[in-house]
Order: sequence, then C-alpha cells, then structure tokens
Amino acid sequence: MSIDLSIFTNYGPQLLLGFWMTIKIVVAAIILGMPFGLVLALGRRSRFVFIRLLASSFIEIFRNTPFIIQVFMFFYVLPFYGLYLPAEYVGVVALAAFGSAYFAEVIRGGIDAVAKGQLESARATGMSDWQAMRYIVLPQTLPIILPAMTNQTLSLVKESAILSTITVGELTMAAITVQGETFRPFEAFIMVALLYWALNETLAIIMRRVERKVSKRSSGGSRAVPAVSAVKDG
Amino acid sequence: MAMDTGKMSNFLEMTGLVKTFTGATALQDVSLNVAKGEVVCLIGPSGCGKSTLLRTANWLTPADAGEVRLDGELVGTMPDQRSASKQAKGLNAVRARIGMVFQNFNVWPHLNVLENVVCPQMVVAKRSRNEAEKKALVALSEVGLEDKKSEWPDNLSGGQKQRLAIARVLAMDPDLMLLDEPTSALDPELVSGVLAVLKRLAEKNMTMIIVTHELGFASSVADRIVFLEGGHIIEQGPPDVILQSPATERLKLFLDKLNITAFQPKSD
Amino acid sequence: MKFDFIYTLDALPRLLEGSLVTLKLALLGFAFSVVLATLVTVARTASKSRILSIAVAVYISFIRGTPLLVQIFLVFYVLPIVGLNIGPVTAGILALTLNSAAFVIEILRGGLASVPKGQFEAARSLGLSGYALWVKVVLPQTFMSSIPPLVNEFTQLLKATALLSTITVVELMRVSQQIYSNNYHPIEVLTGAFVMYFLMCFAVSRGASWLESEFEVKRA
Repeated sequence: MSIDLSIFTNYGPQLLLGFWMTIKIVVAAIILGMPFGLVLALGRRSRFVFIRLLASSFIEIFRNTPFIIQVFMFFYVLPFYGLYLPAEYVGVVALAAFGSAYFAEVIRGGIDAVAKGQLESARATGMSDWQAMRYIVLPQTLPIILPAMTNQTLSLVKESAILSTITVGELTMAAITVQGETFRPFEAFIMVALLYWALNETLAIIMRRVERKVSKRSSGGSRAVPAVSAVKDG
Repeated sequence: MAMDTGKMSNFLEMTGLVKTFTGATALQDVSLNVAKGEVVCLIGPSGCGKSTLLRTANWLTPADAGEVRLDGELVGTMPDQRSASKQAKGLNAVRARIGMVFQNFNVWPHLNVLENVVCPQMVVAKRSRNEAEKKALVALSEVGLEDKKSEWPDNLSGGQKQRLAIARVLAMDPDLMLLDEPTSALDPELVSGVLAVLKRLAEKNMTMIIVTHELGFASSVADRIVFLEGGHIIEQGPPDVILQSPATERLKLFLDKLNITAFQPKSD
Repeated sequence: MKFDFIYTLDALPRLLEGSLVTLKLALLGFAFSVVLATLVTVARTASKSRILSIAVAVYISFIRGTPLLVQIFLVFYVLPIVGLNIGPVTAGILALTLNSAAFVIEILRGGLASVPKGQFEAARSLGLSGYALWVKVVLPQTFMSSIPPLVNEFTQLLKATALLSTITVVELMRVSQQIYSNNYHPIEVLTGAFVMYFLMCFAVSRGASWLESEFEVKRA
C-alpha cells in the first residue's frame, strides 16, 4: 500500500471545513447541554415526585441507548411534530440532549460530594433551596466536577462523528465524501482521525491547566497567594 | 434574666413534638417553652434526643407531630395544611430570625471570612453590600476575628471557624440562637475562646438554646438546664438545683458517670 | 400522520432477532478485548519494556482520542486494501475489540494496582514465577477487583454495536433501518429498537451498580 500524499493537499480545505463544523456543533451542544444538565440534576432532587421522575427518566433513557439511534429518533421525530430543521440543527439538539444526561450525572455527583452540612447551614440562615444551591453548594461543586466535565466534553467531540449518518457536514462526513471521490479511504480516515486526536489532546491540555488553577484557588493552603501562582501558570 | 411565668415565657413554643427515625424514636411528645432573653442548656446522654429537639426548633429536622412557634409565628407544624410554597416562604422568613451554630462549624470554604458573614445578609436579609459589610465587621470584632476578615476559612483554627460561624449568625440580628454542641469538635485549648464569646452573648440577653457537654459552662451561663433521656424531658430547672441536687435517679446516674470535677465552673 | 403502534408490533419479531445479533456482537467483542487486554497487560508489566509501554500508551491515547465510528471505517475500508478481505461482521468485531481493549487495559491497570505488592513477593518466595505467578495469583485478584468497571465497559460495547450498522452489519439498528425503509414508518420501528436497546443496557447497568454495591460491602 502506498500513501497518496496529494490527497492531503487537494482535499485539505474540505476537511478543514468539516473540522470547523464539528467545532461549531460541539460548542453549540455544550452551550445548550450544560445548563440543561444542571436543570436535570436539580430536577432529580426536586421536592415534586413528578419532576424527579421526569428528570431521572430522561437521564436514564439517554444514558442507556446508543447515540446513533437517538440521532435517528430526533431526525424523524422532530418533523413528525412539524419541526423541520436543517440536519446540523437536529444534530446540535441530539448532541445537546445526549450530553445533558451525562452532564447531569456529573453535576449530581458533585453536589453529593459537597458536605451535607453546607446545604444545611445555608438553609438554616433562611436561604431557599435554590439560593443555598446557587450561593453555597454549586460554587463548591465546580472544582470537584471539572475533570469529569472535561471527559464528557471530549466524548461529545467524538460522538459528534455520528452526526455524519444524518448527513451533517462535519469532519467525519467530509472524510466519507473525500474517500468516495478518491477511493483512498486510508488517507481520508487517518487524516480525520489525527484531526480529532489533536483536537481532543489540545482540549485535554487546556482543561488540565484550568483544573490546576481552579483547584489551587479552592484548596486552602495556596489560597492566600493565588496571584503569584496564576502568573507562573499563565 | 429568666421569666418563668406570664406571656414572656412563650417566646419560643415547642409543643407536643414527636420524631421517629427509622426504627428509633428521638422525641416522644416533647414540649419546651423558652422566654425572651433566656439561656437554656440541653444536656443528656448521646442519642437522648437533645440535638433532634434543637434541630426541630428551626425545622431543619421536621417533626412527625407537634408544632414550633416563634413569637407566635408558626415555624413548622405537622401535619401542615398550608401549600408547599407558603410553607417554604414562611419557614425561610422565620429561619432568618433564628441563628444556628453547628458542631462542625459548617463555614463556607469557597468564601473568605468577610464574605461568609456578608453572603446570607445580602441573599436572605436583602441588605446592600455596604450595609452588610459594616454589619459583618461589627460581628467579626464581637468574636475577635476582625483582623482575619480576608483570610480563607481553611486557614483558620477550629475555634476561629466556630467563632466565624457565630459571627455569621450574629450579623443577621437573630432573635434566637441555636447551638448544637458548639465546642465538642474543638481541641481543648480552643474551647475557652468560643465559650467566652457565648458568655458575652448571654450577658447581653441573647435568647439561646445550647446543646452541650460542658456542664461547668452550662452552670455559669444557663438560666435553665433541661435534661433529656430516651426522647423525654426528665428534669429541668436552674443550674444549681439540677447539678447539685438532682431529683431523679436517671439524672443522678448521668451526672455520676461524668467526672465530678467537670461540674466546677471553668475560669476563662 | 399518527403514531401507529401496529408497525412496532409487526417489526417486533425481526427486532428481537436483531437484538440477539447485537448481544452476540457485544459478547464476542468483549471476550476478545478482555483476552487482548490481558495479554498486553501481562506483557507490559512482565517485560518492563519501555518501547512496549510507550506503544501501548500511544495506542490508548489514539483510541480514546478518536471517534469509534472513524476507527470502524478505518478497519472496514483499509484492511481490504492491504489484501485482507474480511467481511463487515469480522471487521466490525475487530474494530470493537481494538477499541474496547484500550479501555479494558486501563481497567486492568487499576485492578492490578489494587493487588498488594506482598502478593508478588509471597508467590515468588514460594517459587512461583512466570506463568504460574500470573495465572494462579495475580490475574484472579486483578479480575476480581475489576468486575464492576468491566461490566460497565460491556454496556458501552452494547451501545457501540449500533455503529456497525454503518458498515452494513445487520444488527438491531440495521434491522430497524431495513424495516422502515420498506414500510416508511421510521418512528414506530425505531421506537421498538430504542426500547430494546434501553432494556438491554438498563438491565446490564443496573446489574453493574448492584455488583458495585456488593463489592463495596465485601471490601468494607
């Protein structure tokens, strides 16, 4: 097998366009999915049984089925209810829904990891459940959940490849097109694999840096001197 | 200080409280009234229900039956006929008037010392930042922490954390303070600083209910000591009566088990 | 247009067959990946070779950093070019195995770390070495402590099999696509498949969390 390097130069722009679409879709899905994940996590501890049931059913359903069938369900169900969206939007909605279920579980774990006395002492001052969450519990949750949130974000990048099956013009779709035109599957797929790999590694490195900063700020000992360590890190 | 009769004795009314945890009964039809300005110490063996009684006072632990009123205003009752949102609103409003101090401090580690005191004032009492900070500094100086205002809680000693927790409560201008074994998580050398703060509050006529094992402290600040066992109030009265001449066998036994020397008031 | 349950019912027998294929694919992929991961783990630990451990690290990073779908395409489209004419089913199982092995290696590394060092020393002092040391002493303990995450990995594989529909493997997802491309009732048919996936995954993941709590009790 010989490698045809001309594919990289001839089809590079096309692949980069797909790459850009992947990034846009994942960012949009995170912007929609993270707040919704928070809503789901809070819904799971609502005092109304109905809301608790609704939130946990949503989470369990999306965590226990393949993403590809979720994508197809959205693809066919949305028009069924009269919602005709371009494939990219369907993809964003599906990815956001899928991601929110996982984000919700991560956030729930973080809330559970904050000592019970924190919520209690906040409620004892007269804060409502939501105020206690907003001002006392959730700010402490953030450094705890950051590593797991990073992992979920990376997994969204990977899952977004599945949107190619409903013709979303993202990175994997670009590779499929290139291999269809050139009949050089190895070059096409290895190139996108490397692009995904690079994107994931870059994100992982950035997030690890953020994690270190956040955990430094929230761990007592070095709290007194955050400015110095921040400069060194940056 | 204490008024045993008349309307004043009904500042906090806890009536017919019953609480059962899976299997164990913590409170069996307990009633307790506290007058304005009165300091009540709850004592008893562990598991006697004293902490549960304290925690029903601000409905942090809702009782299965009975009701709690502060100044005639309903804190909590079971069964509660009000709508859920009305209950929650009423409870939050009345809790703002009741300060609670916990055994393990529960200071908020993500906020610095000043912000710990400022936060509930702004969120619950809706004070402006300016006003809240002013109040916070007064409260912090009352507990001797004014020079630690920009410190993080993790860098404080246990005694300082507990004093911070007390300052957080004081800044809300509470009508009543509940203290759940405020010194039992502290190293012995840090206890006296916290007790001194509480003593000053007692002298300023703050209404307090304190769950404590420090009998010496109890005898010096309490207007009344309440002895609980097995979810019942067994005996109550002024400290000298309760500690020197207990009427019931069970209180005698409880006091005998603790070292006699512990009854001598501690000097600060 | 209305949701017509009759199409779901009609599809049910074929969907059930598809579910069986899905289960088989997942079980095969899982079995192969555990074998492969075990071999890699033993080789890496026993040989202490730097090159091998770097190669494994790069492999794991690649698998975890790229989409499974792309990995499947790579295996499916590239192997025939180098002269390996394997069908979609074999290619699919191979891709699942290669993917899952990376995750199982990580799981086994955790399990191996939980085996006390004294166990190695005790076995060596008794004269056990090589094969016997691993098979009789180390691996059983590694697997025992790895069971909950391994079951979890199996659910991931169960879901991953659906991707093989894209390379024409006729499993549950593909079966439902075949059915609705004939009767034009995708929602009814997909709902049936969706419920089946959910039941399979939910049962296994519930089993996993049950196992996990069992294990915690035993260790406590």
